[in-house]
Amino acid sequence: MLKNLNSKHIQRFSYKYLPQFPISPNSPKLGFSRSQIANYRSNFPTTIMSSSKTIVLRSSDGETFEVDEAVAVESQTIKHMIEDGCADTSIPLPNVTSKILSKVIEYCKKHVETPNADEKVAEEDLKSFDADFVKVDQSTLFDLILAANYLNIKSLLDLTCQTVADMIKGKTPEEIRKTFNIKNDFTPEEEEEVRRENAWAFE
Amino acid sequence: MPALVNYRGDDELHTGGSLCSKDSARLLCVYGPPCKRQRISDSYILFFEQEKKPSIEILPDEILYEIFRRLPNGQARSASACVSNRWLTVLSNVRASEMVHGSSDDVEMVQENDGFLTRCLDGKKATDCRLQSVAVGTSSRGGLGKLSVRGSNKVTKLGFTAIARGCPSLKVLSLWNVPSIGDESLIEISKECHSLEKVDISHCHSISNKGIAAIAENCPNLTSLTIESCKNIGNESLQAVARYCPNLQSISVKDCPNVGDQGVATLLSSLSSVLKKVKLQSLNITDFSLAVIGHYGKSITSLVLTGLQIASQKGFWAMGNAKGLQSLTSLTVVSCYGITDLSLEAIGNGCGFLKQMLIKKCCFVSDKGLVSFTEAAKSLECLQLEECNRISQQGILGALKSNLKSLTIVKCMGIKDLVHETPELTQCASLRSLTVKDCIGFGNTNLAIFGTLCPQLQNVELSGLCGITDTGLYPLLENCQAGLVKVNISNCVNLTDKVVVDLAKIHGGTLKVLNLEGGRRITDESLVAIADNCVLLNDLDVSKCCITDNGLSCLSEGVQIDLQILSVSGCSKVTNKSVPFLKKLGQTLVGLNIQQCNLISSGSVDSLVESLWRCDILY
Repeated sequence: MLKNLNSKHIQRFSYKYLPQFPISPNSPKLGFSRSQIANYRSNFPTTIMSSSKTIVLRSSDGETFEVDEAVAVESQTIKHMIEDGCADTSIPLPNVTSKILSKVIEYCKKHVETPNADEKVAEEDLKSFDADFVKVDQSTLFDLILAANYLNIKSLLDLTCQTVADMIKGKTPEEIRKTFNIKNDFTPEEEEEVRRENAWAFE
Repeated sequence: MPALVNYRGDDELHTGGSLCSKDSARLLCVYGPPCKRQRISDSYILFFEQEKKPSIEILPDEILYEIFRRLPNGQARSASACVSNRWLTVLSNVRASEMVHGSSDDVEMVQENDGFLTRCLDGKKATDCRLQSVAVGTSSRGGLGKLSVRGSNKVTKLGFTAIARGCPSLKVLSLWNVPSIGDESLIEISKECHSLEKVDISHCHSISNKGIAAIAENCPNLTSLTIESCKNIGNESLQAVARYCPNLQSISVKDCPNVGDQGVATLLSSLSSVLKKVKLQSLNITDFSLAVIGHYGKSITSLVLTGLQIASQKGFWAMGNAKGLQSLTSLTVVSCYGITDLSLEAIGNGCGFLKQMLIKKCCFVSDKGLVSFTEAAKSLECLQLEECNRISQQGILGALKSNLKSLTIVKCMGIKDLVHETPELTQCASLRSLTVKDCIGFGNTNLAIFGTLCPQLQNVELSGLCGITDTGLYPLLENCQAGLVKVNISNCVNLTDKVVVDLAKIHGGTLKVLNLEGGRRITDESLVAIADNCVLLNDLDVSKCCITDNGLSCLSEGVQIDLQILSVSGCSKVTNKSVPFLKKLGQTLVGLNIQQCNLISSGSVDSLVESLWRCDILY
């Protein structure tokens, strides 16, 4: 029966077929043959630390980027695409340019390489990387936000949105409009109303 | 490209359309005459500039939402709110619970947002924009506690969603005459504002049962609900309230044609242990509801029934007879055809602790009913009768046999002077306050009888009675042993100075409030008497009397210790000469009314206003 199921099905109903205790290839008493174990391994690459599988990502302007799967699945969007079996050739990302995609990949790589911030040094290193990462011009920053949203990378979205929020902090409305090039579309009455409630903040 | 954007106004016009890919620019080049100076408007320039500079406007609303969630403090939020309409809309939709930083950075701000602030939006000033700004502005300064929106057709669901998300501490919500608000707004508010305690909805035709039911389900702390003239609210609303609001203390439903017995009965029977104030006006409820009130109203302290035209005598009789209204202290019935002698007696018997009773426009009540009611209601202290035209002098005198403290009779046309005096008249030693207003037939005889029967009167109001004269009032003044404190004899055209002189002489030591408004025959003589005798006088009203400057000069020299309120409005003989007297009086005055004193010039008025800065002057 196992032979008739393809990889997609095994991934979906995996919990039924997983052995209940940790396996090692050299414990025959559990009753799994080497071939079965190898089959299991090739279908669940994410459960094994070192995987050699790579994913190809294609940006909107046609450039391709080859990345480790562990890095690619930082993006929930890409992760779902892989799980759904659309990742056989390359994954097209029509909403992301190559310039932005390369930056995103750089970010994901750094975050995957650093283990879960157990040591202070690693944590500070990551923080300074993040701080430098967002020192870009506004247009790039907004593109990064849009990319992080489209690719569903929570930590990058957090970082970039927080950066913009910090840019807003401490400024008066006029300064905010100038910084971000926003048109004031209030009518004079509306502006008066809003100011009346909120003027305490910047006067 | 710079060549095309020729805003410095050089004389050359470059027709190179291929430099720019925008159609509008090409048009400009093609149709503009070649040697004319090119004038390009500002917006055109901005258009190009926007292409060069990035704008945050390219980010969609969800992203802006994520950015606003991470704003560090109230100051940043308020500043962002003033940036543009779109920012205000997105910002006001961010829930307080979703803010990433909370109020950790607001060192000086109040940490708990308990709803200290009140906002009232009226008429033209009530717009969605204002609601959104209120939601953002109050959230970090103590929270919005009371919101009232009146007379606006511009507020929509957008504004109320902002209020719901930004002000979870809302306690009191009032909507008067806001036809553009429907159920969705109330549902939004009910989802977020769980501390709502008082809801007042009036003349909102788009709100139906769904909205009220949502509020009832999600706001268990609701203590007071008022619904007026909402044609789409019906029984289901009251049933939902009955089911989900165990703390409801006060309910008032007026003029809702879809509310009937089912709703009212369910509400009253479910909440019988908490409901204290009930007001039902102009509803299509029948005897059944009244019987339910009678049986289940054990906590009701104040009951107002107005305009119940379908309920009959049986219903009111059942209400009284059930003897369930054990806490009722105040009962008001207006325009109810079911109030008759029989039902009134039953109510008197059934409500053992009734203290205040107001009967207005119940034309079927007669003397018999009134007497039996006052006999049965042993705790009755205050009785007020308005426009009950079947009541006559006999009924009133019979009512005086009880321990009434205050009796008020307004516009009862049936009260006429008795031709002969009735033999049995017991004194009413408890009556402290008597008010007779606008009863045409009330004359000297009646007044004399009251005078002899009520020696302990302290407050007397006899206004609008053209049938009384000085001779009628004198016995009353003579017999009052307690000393009159408040006297109002306004609009009694046949009273003259003699009354005031007698009053001042006999009761000058206790008189505090005197109202002589509209006394066409009151002259300076009265003021002289008042000035000489009324030491404790606080409040004097001589509007539309025939007093002159002399009277006021005497008053200013008077013995009054603390005259606080003086009204001489409409006294056409008061001139500028009185201004120094008024200034002297103004040393103690808190309120002064000199409206329609046409002989006081505006210059004098200004000097008065300046010197009497502590006094509130109406002119």
